[in-house]
Amino acid sequence: MKVSLFITCLSDAIYPRVGEAMVRLLARYGVALQFPTVQTCCGQPAFNSGYWKEARDSARTILDAFEDSDFVIAPSGSCIGMLHHYPKLFENDPVMLARSEALRAKSYEFTQFLVNVLEVTDVGAEFPHKVTYHPSCHGTRLLGVKEEPLALMKKVKGLELIPLPFAEDCCGFGGTFAVKMADISGAMVTEKVDHVLETEAEVLVGLDMACMMNIAGNLRYREKPVRVMHLAELLYEGVKEA
Amino acid sequence: MAEHKNAGIGSGQAADKGRTSEGTVRDGSLPMDGNQSTTGSGSSESHGEWLARLEQQSRAKQEQFMNHISGRLGHPRMYEKPQHPYRGAPDFWNAFEWSEEERITHFTDNFLSVGGHVARVDSMEAVKAFIVEKADEMSAKYVLRQDQPELDTLGLEQALPAGTVVSVWNSGPEQHWKARAAEADFGVVIADHAVAYTGSVTVLSAANKGRSVSLLPTVLFIIIPVERMKTRLGEVLGTFDEAGREALPAGIHFITGPSRSSDIENDLTIGVHGPGIVYALIVG
Amino acid sequence: MSGAAKGAKRQTVKERSELALNDEFLRKAVKFTTERLRNGKKKASEEHGNWELWRERGRQIRLHTIAHLDYYLNLFVNNARANGVHVHFADTAQDAVQLTMDIAKHANARSVVKSKSMVSEELHLNQALESIGVEAIETDLGEYIIQLAGEMPSHIVIPAIHKNRYQIAELLSKEAGETLPPDTTALAGFVRKKLREKFLEADIGMTGCNFAIAETGSMVLFENEGNARMVSTVPKTQITLMGMERIIPSWSDLEVMATLLPRSATGQKLTMYMSGITGPRREEDADGPEEMHIIIVDNGRSLQLGDPEFQELLNCIRCGACLNACPVYRHIGGHAYGSTYSGPIGAVLTPSLNKNIAEWDDIANASSLCGACYEACPVKIPLHDMLVYLRRRKVEAGHGNALESMGMQGFATVMGNSSRFGGVLRLGKLGQKLVVRGGVIRTKLGPLKGWNTYRVTPSLPKQSFRDRWDTLDKELGLTKKDISETAQSKMEAAVKKRAQAAAEAKAEGKGGKGHHG
Repeated sequence: MKVSLFITCLSDAIYPRVGEAMVRLLARYGVALQFPTVQTCCGQPAFNSGYWKEARDSARTILDAFEDSDFVIAPSGSCIGMLHHYPKLFENDPVMLARSEALRAKSYEFTQFLVNVLEVTDVGAEFPHKVTYHPSCHGTRLLGVKEEPLALMKKVKGLELIPLPFAEDCCGFGGTFAVKMADISGAMVTEKVDHVLETEAEVLVGLDMACMMNIAGNLRYREKPVRVMHLAELLYEGVKEA
Repeated sequence: MAEHKNAGIGSGQAADKGRTSEGTVRDGSLPMDGNQSTTGSGSSESHGEWLARLEQQSRAKQEQFMNHISGRLGHPRMYEKPQHPYRGAPDFWNAFEWSEEERITHFTDNFLSVGGHVARVDSMEAVKAFIVEKADEMSAKYVLRQDQPELDTLGLEQALPAGTVVSVWNSGPEQHWKARAAEADFGVVIADHAVAYTGSVTVLSAANKGRSVSLLPTVLFIIIPVERMKTRLGEVLGTFDEAGREALPAGIHFITGPSRSSDIENDLTIGVHGPGIVYALIVG
Repeated sequence: MSGAAKGAKRQTVKERSELALNDEFLRKAVKFTTERLRNGKKKASEEHGNWELWRERGRQIRLHTIAHLDYYLNLFVNNARANGVHVHFADTAQDAVQLTMDIAKHANARSVVKSKSMVSEELHLNQALESIGVEAIETDLGEYIIQLAGEMPSHIVIPAIHKNRYQIAELLSKEAGETLPPDTTALAGFVRKKLREKFLEADIGMTGCNFAIAETGSMVLFENEGNARMVSTVPKTQITLMGMERIIPSWSDLEVMATLLPRSATGQKLTMYMSGITGPRREEDADGPEEMHIIIVDNGRSLQLGDPEFQELLNCIRCGACLNACPVYRHIGGHAYGSTYSGPIGAVLTPSLNKNIAEWDDIANASSLCGACYEACPVKIPLHDMLVYLRRRKVEAGHGNALESMGMQGFATVMGNSSRFGGVLRLGKLGQKLVVRGGVIRTKLGPLKGWNTYRVTPSLPKQSFRDRWDTLDKELGLTKKDISETAQSKMEAAVKKRAQAAAEAKAEGKGGKGHHG
């Protein structure tokens, strides 16, 4: 059984702690994550902007990396969501199409794997802080990841989960959207952060570093000390302390 | 009901009704260019001829239009009814039904929630008393009702004070009935159907049942014989499918409360174009 | 204050958005309205229950009808004719306008009273009528207000939300010839009286069409004010503008639409009025139009037929739920989209109806692809996917942004090979030393300008994950380890389930879009 880590370009480059937390956490359940190094990026930035040829160039590294994996796990709902577009992306190439469908069937967002496959909800963590949760759009709407993170957080000792007002509203990242439509994106992230601040939480947690980077960026800009973490990081830190 | 057959040129007898503005030069002495678009009075074509010409053009265009559609869809023209597996509401919904009391309660709740008024009465006598009382309260001077036997026997004409004018829709050729409706304080109609789940009534148009009676007056009274109260919208809509095209009236109107709008700063206002005060009187 | 659509048409969505984002009242109004409607929908759909089942039902009925559109539309036309309706076909907006003017001329019309019709907005019909001396009066309260203001609607369902009561009082006072108070009841009362006169004296009543029922040749109108009933009851002639895709087979199917549409649009169980009109008045009736016309409009709709990526667009029942769900719409309002249809449906519909890709502006870029529109749509149109398809078509047609194209080629080169990717990361770590201060990058120069106007950019850490991997592996012995027994058995169970699901899907035939939503 080969279980592979799909690190995602963002975590690879900017948030390696997230990947490390995942590896360590899953090791505790006897799952030794492998890391096929030929992976680069799922291709979403190019795909979303309509540059599908370029997206395919990037996507091929992912298909190659995970060819012989049985499980592919990523700390991101949007990157796994992108893998669901691979059949469309390669619809005119029967070989790649078959490989794409195989990959889609075996890909999981992190909490999906932990809760639905390993059937773990209590990792034995302790995290006595006020926390609020932003449910990223692609993970919730396209993958249907709704209950899994909540189930995990419920079991963390001392964690006080404060509901985020208008949680389901997009944070405004949208990849190149944040650059191309900077002012609209800026308005959206400002509103999201307003809601985060309303909760008076110490920590903002999420399942997607793109959203977290976006929201953290505005928090720092506004000099607000709210800590921003990926759920894997929070759980691992909670486990280390316990 | 006048039948409008699928005739060729010159169909639609309603088209010629009352059209005298262009004169009736039908001797065909003036040359008619097929593509000529005539402009109102003093033209070479009568109204009927113009409509006929349009119809000819339209029928030719129809084939073209439909062929274009089937061409784009990538199949030959379909003339046979296709298999329609998902027709109407989901099956579980069609099994849903309330008891009579539940229907009345839910209808009432729904109607009240949108600003309508509901009264449960046991007889047409009580209906009459209700309307007379309201007429007094609101100093109503003009009442318009449908021309139905149940409303004849209701006896409003006798019960209302002498100064109040009660008109009966389309009961004679001399009156301008739409004007009567526009000036009416009260409109009185009987619901042909009612739906508890949405809090709606249905009124069907006919010679003796004007659409205007439930639309133009300021206050509307809808008498609902309790046995006509159904649970689901589909129970009423289904009857139209069953009746078939030729049996349908020109106007089928579902009314679910008083006229309203929130177009100004999201601020709700009642009584925009249709009646602002609506009474649903459930009888029986 | 709200001159977003007035005056010169701005070049791009971006520029128009800037106007909107700086209009405080507009933003508050749009936010308030969309929240109200969104909450209404949530409450109504939850109360009704089994919403996903109803959505799927609605989707299937619309898909079926569109897939057999030649049959159903033809059936509708023949039945409508049999009812005494004069049916006409308009390939283009121009055709529809010509037909309308022709009918108006033959009716010697001096005035036309109109109820809500998005199609008539699409056609810019009012200007055409005015040009031949026919007064065209919008009678829906919101449409009447924007007509007086000379503006386009900013929301499909509530067209004048960008106007405040003072502006509305000013507009209506001019019409009244006296000063009206900025009070909703007073203003609505004036409009009721004023339009009453117009209804009664108008020669022609024009309506749109929410649904056309193929099996009986009937057309259905949903409204709350009563003006659609007015214009189809009082004037002698009726003209109905109908998009060619607005068909459902039967009255039973109407129950599904009547369940989905009002709840999705405003959170109502049913609109105050739902009218089914089957032909002109009968000879013995004393009201209703004597002459009834239906103009069936194509104007780019047939372009979507046979296009697997866009045919579903024709499912749309114009409820506006996508507008209320869209976070972008909520911030910029309807006028920023620059055309008749706004919000997510507008972002897709406007370019799709227009064959000329070169004329599409950046409207499809005004989206973060969050998918809220798809989630909200009562007939499950995958608008978020369609936006990507539009972007792709623009690029493939050679109309992509030059700078962006170069950037994407760079992206492909780097990401096409993991060593190159690793190399770029190393370069980045070096290069960023110029701009990193206190662990973050704040510079507003170059490509980071847009981002850093509202945020700081994180710096690249010393070690990327792939740099760290060998150490991690050594410490935990990952590549050497075996999976534990418990984990193994759980994963094997999961693999079995996957195989089962795949077999079932194959047996049913490939269905759906494979979304988990």
